[in-house]
Amino acid sequence: MLKLIQKGALAGAMILAAGAALAEYPEKPIEVVVGYSAGGGTDVMARTAAPFIEKYLGGGASLVVKNVPGASGQIGVTEVAGAKPDGYTIGTFNLPGMMARTIDREAGYDRDSFTYLANVVNDPNVIVTSKDSGLDTMEKLIAAAKADPGAITVGMSSLGGDDHFALIKLEGLTETEFTIVPFKGSAPARTALMGGHVAMGILNISEVASFQDELNLLGVATEERSDFAPDLPTFREQGIDLINGSMRGFVAPAGLPEDVVAKLDGAFEQMAGDPEFLKAMADTANPVEVVTGDDFKQLTSDLYDLANKVWQETPWN
Amino acid sequence: MYSDLLNALPEVFGLANFLAVIIGVIAGIVVGAMPGLSATMAISVLVPFTFGLEPLVALGLMAGIYNGAMYGGAIPAVLLRIPGTPAAVATTFDGYPMAQRGEGGFALQVAVVSSSIGGIASAFALMLLAPPLSKVTLLFGPAEVFWVAVFGLASIIFLLGGSPVKGLISACFGVFVSVIGSDPIFGSDRFTFNQLELLDGISIVILLVGLYALPPVIDLLETPLKTGVSEDKLGTEPIWKALPRMKGFWKTWIRGSLIGIWIGILPGAGGSMAAFMSYNEARRASKHPERWGEGEPEGVAAAETANNADTASALIPALTLGIPGTAVAAVMLGGLLVHGLQPGPMLFRDNPDVVFGFMWQFLFGAILLVLLGGSLATNSFARLLNLPRPLLGSIIIVLMLIGVYSIHGRMFDVYLMLGFGAVGWVMDKLKFPLPPVVLGLILGAFAEENLRLALRIGRGDWGVLFRNTTSLVLVALTIAVIVGPGLKKRILDARKARTAD
Repeated sequence: MLKLIQKGALAGAMILAAGAALAEYPEKPIEVVVGYSAGGGTDVMARTAAPFIEKYLGGGASLVVKNVPGASGQIGVTEVAGAKPDGYTIGTFNLPGMMARTIDREAGYDRDSFTYLANVVNDPNVIVTSKDSGLDTMEKLIAAAKADPGAITVGMSSLGGDDHFALIKLEGLTETEFTIVPFKGSAPARTALMGGHVAMGILNISEVASFQDELNLLGVATEERSDFAPDLPTFREQGIDLINGSMRGFVAPAGLPEDVVAKLDGAFEQMAGDPEFLKAMADTANPVEVVTGDDFKQLTSDLYDLANKVWQETPWN
Repeated sequence: MYSDLLNALPEVFGLANFLAVIIGVIAGIVVGAMPGLSATMAISVLVPFTFGLEPLVALGLMAGIYNGAMYGGAIPAVLLRIPGTPAAVATTFDGYPMAQRGEGGFALQVAVVSSSIGGIASAFALMLLAPPLSKVTLLFGPAEVFWVAVFGLASIIFLLGGSPVKGLISACFGVFVSVIGSDPIFGSDRFTFNQLELLDGISIVILLVGLYALPPVIDLLETPLKTGVSEDKLGTEPIWKALPRMKGFWKTWIRGSLIGIWIGILPGAGGSMAAFMSYNEARRASKHPERWGEGEPEGVAAAETANNADTASALIPALTLGIPGTAVAAVMLGGLLVHGLQPGPMLFRDNPDVVFGFMWQFLFGAILLVLLGGSLATNSFARLLNLPRPLLGSIIIVLMLIGVYSIHGRMFDVYLMLGFGAVGWVMDKLKFPLPPVVLGLILGAFAEENLRLALRIGRGDWGVLFRNTTSLVLVALTIAVIVGPGLKKRILDARKARTAD
């Protein structure tokens, strides 16, 4: 009798388990861990994207944004890397910063800790100079840098970020040398440029698009001109093959079930083509460039290799 | 530029935003009236709770509390000769003798009217001076900001009063706390002991709550204060009947306002210094200085005008340069940052509605002070002093714990806060001043980061620090602050010695 009950219970449990597996993902709210406080660029991206992901996942899916700020997003992304890979915890991911952190310090994750879902934003780098510097073209800037290596001071938001890598690339491409002045974030760097305390700056287009009167914008590091500043030529047009930017996207812990990955990737791809989403992102000064799945993984890997190469040659701490 | 000021006005009158100011003023008066509880404490306990609020609701609360607390401190100062806030010390000189004569009600009415006038003048100074000054801040590069930070540290150590050595030790403690976390240039860890929570450094709010809220609460629980206030000392009459008796005070009001505004802008010195200076100057100008200290209403007016006139003006350096001059300004700045308002020249361009709205809230907070603290309310506020102190202490402790936990949702911060509280309590007992710790944390970080940036810009040449006029002026001011008090004392001693001969 007892055995029968046991068997019955076991069978019941199995049926329940099977039922759970068959139920459509997502059957409960999905937590989106944002490594920055509310209101920042990454947070705005997550909150703008969330309703569209909900829409394309369908079936009453709900995304809950949770801010875990601290240590340039490291605390949040470490939490995602260690979460259960069931599709109910995803997180925001910033490039190249998140990869650079695995090189310049001991991080609680590496590039294999994640399932790469989609990169959503690509905010290209822009080179600007202060009005007092008189360096209002790339040609003048490069000539000045060659005349006295290191004389040109470059304000940027931090070391080991996209601005830094853009400068390293520029130095390699033009055989020049600059003096890096890493401010704490892009706003103080921009203010120092406006006051003429540094001659040149590397920022992102979303941060300078509305400052065309106060600063000289010399070029943008994209393949095609950006919609945010259509008059601004690319570096390629000026003969310098410089492509670089700050990227923001979404990842999940490594080992996510195939069907969940497929479902999420599908939602991101559909979102990428949604004009309403594109308008919402443009309104918040976020240049969209959606890259999903394996392409995103490859992109991360490339950036890791670049960061690692830079670190080997010129470690920044 | 000033059209934005008017554009921000309608928003201020939004129901929630205006209600926030009213609640803030009342809460501020209550907090200020409690001996030991200061505006800094109230606002730092409050900041974590405002994360989820609309910016203007949160900032309105803070503006209201700041204004209210600066007056509230006068209530126990007059009735019990216990200054409710440090800034109300000068109010006891004449306020208490007035209360002994049965004129306590009138003294409080003088206090509330004067506080309100000081606050209004200060709000106007903020509105008119901050926007143009924010443009001048473009002149301040890393080298100049470094000197501003050094000047601020020097003033808080040498001008605060008391022993400069203790001030220096306090400031050094603050500066030490500022180096915990990631290196500002390279991002390498310093004193983090592999705690991920420490990578960002120590949040100013955690330090403030610990230092400013815990020691007074322990004090509150330690000392059962006799707070019996008998009605007969009040001698209340409606405020409009009291007003004509104050008509001779206008000179004192103007003088007190100007002194308060000026002291507020200077880093380091705060409300108590403004009140003392205003009181001294008013006595010197008085026709009958012998009556001062015996219950001269004008003395109350002088002190209370000045300690409210430094409120909004203390925010001028905070909003324009991001460098707070006083502990309260530091907390308010923390509140602004929480709501995404980055100080500096961009503040007035990116968020004019919020910034100018906040300034209006300061003005209305000051005006509301007369209405709320004025006629009937003063009596009820006086009765607050009879509240059971253990109850009050426990409520504050609970609020502190919840508030600090809610910043990042981690217990680590709570333990950190309690640790700072213990340090603060010991420092308090040993009479070490607390404001230099707070400014040491903020200005120390500023000084370090900007010194290193300046040296990078100068490619390692220290001469970059002395290369322009702004830097040299700041260096001169710093030297003046350091040697000034000693020099003044020596001259006075020499003069005394000569007259003695």
